[in-house]
Amino acid sequence: MADYKAPLRDIRFVRDEIFDFNTLYTKINGGEDATPDMVDAILDEIGRFAEQEIAPTNVTGDREGCKLGEDGVIAPSGFKEVYQKFVEGGWPSLSADPEFGGQGLPVSLGMTVSEIVGQANWSWGMYPGLSHGAKHLLEAHGSNEQKDAFLPRMVSGEWTGTMCLTEPHCGSDLGLLRTKAEANADGSYSLTGTKIFISAGDHDMAENIVHLVLARVPGSPAGTKGISIFVVPKNNLDDSGNVAERNAVSCGALEHKMGIHGNATCVMNFDGAKGFLIGEQNKGLNYMFTMMNSARIGTAFQGLAHSELAIQHATDYARDRLQMRSLSGKKNPDGPADPIIVHPDVRRMLLTIKSLTEGMRMMGYHMAYNADIVSDGKDEEERKVADDLLSILTPIGKAFMTEVGCEAASLGVQVFGGHGYTAEWPAEQNMRDCRISTIYEGTTGIQGLDLLGRKVLGSGGELLKPLTKEIYVFAKENLENEAIGGYSVKLQELTKEWGELTMHIGMLAMENPEEVGAASVDYLMYAGYVCMAYYWAQMAKTAAEKLAAGTSETAFYEAKLHTAKFYFARILPRTITLAATMKAPLDTLMDMDEEQFVIV
Amino acid sequence: MSALNEMQFLLRDVFQLENSWQGSELFADYTAELGDAILSEAEKFAREALAPINRSGDEEGCRLEADGVHTPSGFVEAWAAFSEGGWPSMAGDPVWGGQGMPKALSVMADELFYSANSSFMLYSTLSVGAALCIDAHASESLKETYLPALYEGRWAGVMDLTEPHAGSDLGLLRTKAQDLGNGEYAIEGNKMFITGGDQDMTENVIHLVLARLEGAPAGYRGISLFLVPKFHVNDDGSLGEQNAVTIGSIEHKMGINASATCVVNFDGAKGYLVGEANRGLQAMFTMMNYERLSIGVQGLASGVASYDSAMTYAAERKQGSVAGELAAINRHADVKRMLLTMRVMADAGRALAVYAAHCLDCSKSENSAAMAQRAALLTPVVKAFLTDQGFESCVIGQQVFGGHGYVREWGQEQWVRDARIAQIYEGTNGIQAQDLVKRKVCVDGGSALKAMLDDFSALTPDSSFVSASQQFLTLSEEMVMVLAEHPEREGAISVDYLHALGYLSYHHFLLRMVAAATGDDVAVRQQRLQFFEMRIMPRFNALLSSIKAGLSVDLVL
Repeated sequence: MADYKAPLRDIRFVRDEIFDFNTLYTKINGGEDATPDMVDAILDEIGRFAEQEIAPTNVTGDREGCKLGEDGVIAPSGFKEVYQKFVEGGWPSLSADPEFGGQGLPVSLGMTVSEIVGQANWSWGMYPGLSHGAKHLLEAHGSNEQKDAFLPRMVSGEWTGTMCLTEPHCGSDLGLLRTKAEANADGSYSLTGTKIFISAGDHDMAENIVHLVLARVPGSPAGTKGISIFVVPKNNLDDSGNVAERNAVSCGALEHKMGIHGNATCVMNFDGAKGFLIGEQNKGLNYMFTMMNSARIGTAFQGLAHSELAIQHATDYARDRLQMRSLSGKKNPDGPADPIIVHPDVRRMLLTIKSLTEGMRMMGYHMAYNADIVSDGKDEEERKVADDLLSILTPIGKAFMTEVGCEAASLGVQVFGGHGYTAEWPAEQNMRDCRISTIYEGTTGIQGLDLLGRKVLGSGGELLKPLTKEIYVFAKENLENEAIGGYSVKLQELTKEWGELTMHIGMLAMENPEEVGAASVDYLMYAGYVCMAYYWAQMAKTAAEKLAAGTSETAFYEAKLHTAKFYFARILPRTITLAATMKAPLDTLMDMDEEQFVIV
Repeated sequence: MSALNEMQFLLRDVFQLENSWQGSELFADYTAELGDAILSEAEKFAREALAPINRSGDEEGCRLEADGVHTPSGFVEAWAAFSEGGWPSMAGDPVWGGQGMPKALSVMADELFYSANSSFMLYSTLSVGAALCIDAHASESLKETYLPALYEGRWAGVMDLTEPHAGSDLGLLRTKAQDLGNGEYAIEGNKMFITGGDQDMTENVIHLVLARLEGAPAGYRGISLFLVPKFHVNDDGSLGEQNAVTIGSIEHKMGINASATCVVNFDGAKGYLVGEANRGLQAMFTMMNYERLSIGVQGLASGVASYDSAMTYAAERKQGSVAGELAAINRHADVKRMLLTMRVMADAGRALAVYAAHCLDCSKSENSAAMAQRAALLTPVVKAFLTDQGFESCVIGQQVFGGHGYVREWGQEQWVRDARIAQIYEGTNGIQAQDLVKRKVCVDGGSALKAMLDDFSALTPDSSFVSASQQFLTLSEEMVMVLAEHPEREGAISVDYLHALGYLSYHHFLLRMVAAATGDDVAVRQQRLQFFEMRIMPRFNALLSSIKAGLSVDLVL
């Protein structure tokens, strides 16, 4: 069984050598505390904590799963203890607002911690992970009283948070939701209804759970315009703000799932539960979206997490497993056979996983960098640009990273052959755990509509510009660069093609809005591969500079150059397919009658 | 669920199998009408007997107890009914009680069974493969003793190849066979990943075991094949004592939980040589080729099952509005894209599987070496491409269900887990791709490939197909030359190459299906073809670029 190793070297490469977060931190509000020494110490410490404390609960959590007892959900063995240490270590409060007891460190640093925590055990990481979104929403839209009541203990991690959106008949279409919130005389509300698929909806790891619940106040307009959001604690609070009696909120059942068994996916019943309206009535969905964005970036990191695990496991296995001889002559003449890493097809799989993993890390930190500016930038104009960029990168990151993350996790199984399919090795769990990521927090299809429909075409192409401009400028500046001149030419072609494709679909969509849904997923994946080409060009450039300047880490930097070459030669051609398929006429989809799908 | 109409369309209109059957001595008993009847029965059995124990079998799994492996509830009864219906003997030799059914027909029945319950069907697949191998290579007396009971379903056969250190590389295997001098051999060693290695559904389990005789050459050339029964068989055919064959453990797996994947220990177990000494791998390939075809069909069937439930769900689930009204999700363009992808891949995949099986039938009925070669060429494509596409369809089907696709309740996630193994066992898809490139294409300079694609072009002279086919042949020529000089690059391009040939073949079959269609069906099939051409076939072009790149770049990690 392979152990998890926090990929600190590669994280530092991306953070320090590409994006230079340390310089960014000198320019943003609150960044002054994140000195290079401090950041280094945090990385080392969370790496140690993740490897030694969290990772050992990953396999056991999968085997054991969550249990629903009389008193609610019991998380797998060890989860609670590790969580207490996590809270004692102050990790939940790292990048939270000092006003509520947070340490006020940059958002991006919190994302690094989440990256590492999620790789050690994604199911475990979801418990503190979901709290972040709930905290942001309360911070942005809650009343002072609500903030004071809930935030300090959510920030410290003593309490966790959830978001309760989905109901049995409404998932992607929240306009259909039915949970009712009736006003009480004391200003509170009584919530009644059933929510499903509530991740971390109940557990025994924290003293209280703060649910943010979408519901309708009677008399509200139908559809999405009549939805409000409420804060509903699992346990009510007494006058001094401490946990008092149970609220009428309970977990009715746990879902049996393909994976992420360590995380409780709950049916939550609200039986006249006491809650408090956040912000204004009927603005619930708008508020929820502020929290969804951070949750979507968080889920994007899940794609990276499973890809990182896949490359760690598969590389170790491919170096140990001896099967067959290399076709270019024995590589392990003293052994009975060569390690399978010598075989080109195995290399194809490993390089695919590796190029996707490291490319995803770049995409993750590209989002993190802009999230820092949006959150703490000092210049209004810079914040606006970063916000635009992030609004485009978020759906790409969420859908593209989880889609290719699943591909990587599945290839991770393949490298192991039959062993990859058995529970004795980690690959199969990794693949099962990953499969949820393309579904929750908005399916890939929903992200595609968000990117192409709402963001790109909805802004007449304006929102796309900061991103394509960034890539174009980089390419233009590096046309003569010895290491990446060829890549830069390719990037210029791609940004041009990207613009043309956007125009093409935009024109068609003016005639028929269905065109958006017909092209959206292909469009999003195309965008993902182009971004990743940009990231690989950046990494190759830096690696070549380091090698030219002289370094003791030649192997690390040469691997970057090789992987970039592989990416451009073997992965990037997927854009050829996507450019063609997204332009396929709408009638290739819509002429097919619903009835004609039926085989009989 | 029913793919019956599609199957009958292939049987009658696309391949007109009756003409070929009636023109041969071997299959003269088979008519289109009989084919329809057999498939209808198979569909009914799959729906009534196998589908109901699919999810329960997954939840319950197999158990290893002191007396061996216990299959999940209902499997014993289902196997009895399956045997009663004569299904284990479909492809069997009539001399020993088989039905001598054309493979082109039996693969469709296989699909129906797999798409109801893959775990269950695997017991049969392994048994049929073992029987084929015994029929082709064993002595008359072994055939007489073992084949009738295998065909009746009283006993089941399995294959024991893999050892802990020898999976893709069987040359490394260590299990020993000692000649006892009386026609018997003592087998000693451990095998793992033995599908159906034990169960409680049949009276006896017949293991075909790869092992080394003392003094045999190292590597592949020193491997022999032995028949090792779980229970000894007395001269009168009754069962004697248990042989020294025991089940060490069963694997905990991602899926196919109702299929027992066993560690099998042979502690001086008595067995019999099948075929010649040191020619075991060749004999085993008879079985492997059948099974590769069958596992391809498992991939196809999984995708079909996933499509079937996704399509139903998408028609019932209402989310989002179309033209201002709450609409079923199958009216949304992106959902249609997903459903159509699954649909065309199922239609074309089935045609490819039936065609490959038909080539195999013709190789026997017409004694045609060219058809045997073509079946051999297509076998790795069927195995790898159908399982890769089938898995993709399962994932898409799960995606159509949204969050409901991830929970067990709906059964969609089980198809993803169950289908994932098909890309691995019976030779990983990487191994299939190398088999295609090296042993099926490079071996004759691409002439069998050219013959097939020329036939395809003549049958479907559509200009885009003919030009794609030409491009592929040109690239193949280049590949043969480059690999002669740089054999190590083979593995770098082989998977992409196999996929490219898969898409090209699918295009051909979809064209052929349009040409064979009549009435309203023409327009419907035309639409699906157009979808495939515009939305799937561009993958072919990307693969060609990737192959070209792979032929010229070395992979370094």
